[in-house]
Amino acid sequence: MKKFLFANLLWLISTLLLISPSLSAQEETEAEEVEPVDTYISFIATYTSNDTVVLTANLYIRNGRVRVDLENAPISFTVSEGTEQIEAGETFTDSTGIAQVMIATSSLLRNEEGMVTYMADFAGTDKYLSTSEMFVSKPAKLEVSFYEEDSVKYIRVKGYQFTSNGEAEPISDETILMFVPSLFRPMPIGDVWLEEDGSGSMEFPMTLIGDSLGDITVIARIDEHDSFGYVKGESNCEWAVPKHLLSQDKPTRELWTPVAPLWMMITLLILLAGVWGHYVYAVVELVKIKRSAKKENIQEKDWSNYS
Amino acid sequence: MANEKELALLKEFAPQIEHTNLIQAVWMFFLAAVVGLGFYALYVQIAEGHEVTGMRDNVVWGIYIVNFIFFMGVSYAGALISGTLHLFRAEWRKPINRIAEYITIIALLIGPCYILLCIGRLDRLQYLVLYGRIQSPITWDVIAISTDLFGCFIFLYLAVLRDIAAIRDFQAIRIPKWKRKLYTWLALGYTGTTEQRERLHRATDVMAAMVIAIAVIVYSVLAWIFSVTLQPGWHSTIFGPYFVIAAVFSGCGVMIVVMWLFRKLYHLEKYITRKHFVNVGVLMLILAALFGYFTFSDYLTKWYGSERNDELLISLLFDEYYWLFILSNYVGVLLPMVVVGIKRLRTINNITISAVIVVLALWVNRYLIVVPTLESPYLPIQDSRPEWLFYSSTWVEWALTAAGIAFFALAFTIASKFIPIINVSEMADSSTLEDEEILT
Repeated sequence: MKKFLFANLLWLISTLLLISPSLSAQEETEAEEVEPVDTYISFIATYTSNDTVVLTANLYIRNGRVRVDLENAPISFTVSEGTEQIEAGETFTDSTGIAQVMIATSSLLRNEEGMVTYMADFAGTDKYLSTSEMFVSKPAKLEVSFYEEDSVKYIRVKGYQFTSNGEAEPISDETILMFVPSLFRPMPIGDVWLEEDGSGSMEFPMTLIGDSLGDITVIARIDEHDSFGYVKGESNCEWAVPKHLLSQDKPTRELWTPVAPLWMMITLLILLAGVWGHYVYAVVELVKIKRSAKKENIQEKDWSNYS
Repeated sequence: MANEKELALLKEFAPQIEHTNLIQAVWMFFLAAVVGLGFYALYVQIAEGHEVTGMRDNVVWGIYIVNFIFFMGVSYAGALISGTLHLFRAEWRKPINRIAEYITIIALLIGPCYILLCIGRLDRLQYLVLYGRIQSPITWDVIAISTDLFGCFIFLYLAVLRDIAAIRDFQAIRIPKWKRKLYTWLALGYTGTTEQRERLHRATDVMAAMVIAIAVIVYSVLAWIFSVTLQPGWHSTIFGPYFVIAAVFSGCGVMIVVMWLFRKLYHLEKYITRKHFVNVGVLMLILAALFGYFTFSDYLTKWYGSERNDELLISLLFDEYYWLFILSNYVGVLLPMVVVGIKRLRTINNITISAVIVVLALWVNRYLIVVPTLESPYLPIQDSRPEWLFYSSTWVEWALTAAGIAFFALAFTIASKFIPIINVSEMADSSTLEDEEILT
């Protein structure tokens, strides 16, 4: 038994002695050679209803399965039609790793099919490798308007696409997704089918809640389209239900509502009236003391004159 | 007209009003110098902004608010003590009643000044009146404090009217002409006729009752400024009565200290006796017990509830503020109980020392109510600098605190040079054997 234990102990010590130099050598190698990390960009171009295109690049690295956004990194954007290339701007990523620039669609370079090639480029640093991403799409535009027919309210959407020489043509046979802004992400309210003439409509949902005046923004969107990529159009109307922050059936602290805290006002007024009433009483007593003193002086004077 | 007893007493107190001896002059000069230092600190604060204080985004209230609560508490205590003793016709109150009345008014004048020191934009102060919302506890406090100030002034005036008239009638007193004219004007022609006496008596009784009610309401309103918020440590239903008890407790302490000081300064050993110290001391003992009970009840429910932020606050109190917590809630409560409770220890000096510690403990108590809570909010400010998360008072704040205390003492001394610190007229009314002995 003793022999067995001794043999095991000897084996353990020798193993440790053999492993430890190799471990420390590995650590030294790691400390000396720190390789730059791979970086990634997710990049899209979104056409808006005010004739601009918003280029959005999200720079990040991968730490195992976790995606880590890179902050304060310079991203340069370019636009090309295949051969010729122009600078669209350079900006730094924010705390969420996003860099954005907005350019006018009139300044875009288009190829023969009207397609535009956008590039987002990160030049890299000592710690992070360079990366770039391309996005190709055809300029398009969505217009949102409102109309009323037979007392029914409608949302109208018109879609245009632009040819290589910048001429507008209707977008037909496409489904447009409709949203209204919400707290975290846009809330879908339906979709609109674009006819041959590039227009379509849907009934305005009368249950939508707007701001205190009933104003609301309606958004029309094309997402991940093979030709247009991302297109967004928006417009405001006053047809939503006005939002009241106060629920009328609950007691509130505001004095201008039908459920104002009258109990508080009444209590306060009774207290104040009671206290100030007593003050007035005390002051009146002081005034009477002064008056009685005057009367006394007059009587004394009269008596002295008489005597 | 002043009666013989009044004139005899006035003869004794006349030197107080006529002359200022060297000790009194040095004392007043020292106090004025401390007030001057406070003005310099105020200049620094105005010139350089609130950056010179320890108040930052996270802890927006510091020792200015602590001083505000403290002085207001002392004031209400004065009102409660003088009003209650007046209504109960306690004979022993007579030599010390004036002290309680002065405490009320002077502390009430100083307290709100600390709010003004705390406000960053004094140029917007008028908005409180112009755009004040009646639903806001801050507006309640503004209404309550101004109502209280007005009421206390009327009460004090009623209380001193007879003494003013007596001084006016005391021809032997050597005072400047303007001062005599002022006494004549303030006396309202009071000569002590039956009608005048009855009217004065009625008005004083009414105002005594009012100042008690107002003191309770106003200090409760002050407590509600804290308790209506959802801050950990403040949102408590017992905060109103807890504040009132703490106020009267601290006021008793201040009263004993002032009694001791003026007893020495004006040699009032004949009037302010051990009996007065023991009587106010017993009141302090009862209030210490009540204060201890309220404190224990408040912290016990918070601790047992185990709400996350309450736990954080309590751990902060028992960690970072351990010694201050012990001083405030153990030493401050137990010491007056031991000193006043054990007959052998019940001497004037012992009671005064315990009163000094009570005053200090109660100031610390207000500090522990204000600062640790703000240091452990429900929603900490995002991306705030680490050095801004905790409060550390600066010399400017301490200088202005010292100036407030010095002004309190200075105003007391000046007031005692105008109207005797002992209520001469009420003392002359006394018919007890002890008072007769004093007069002879």
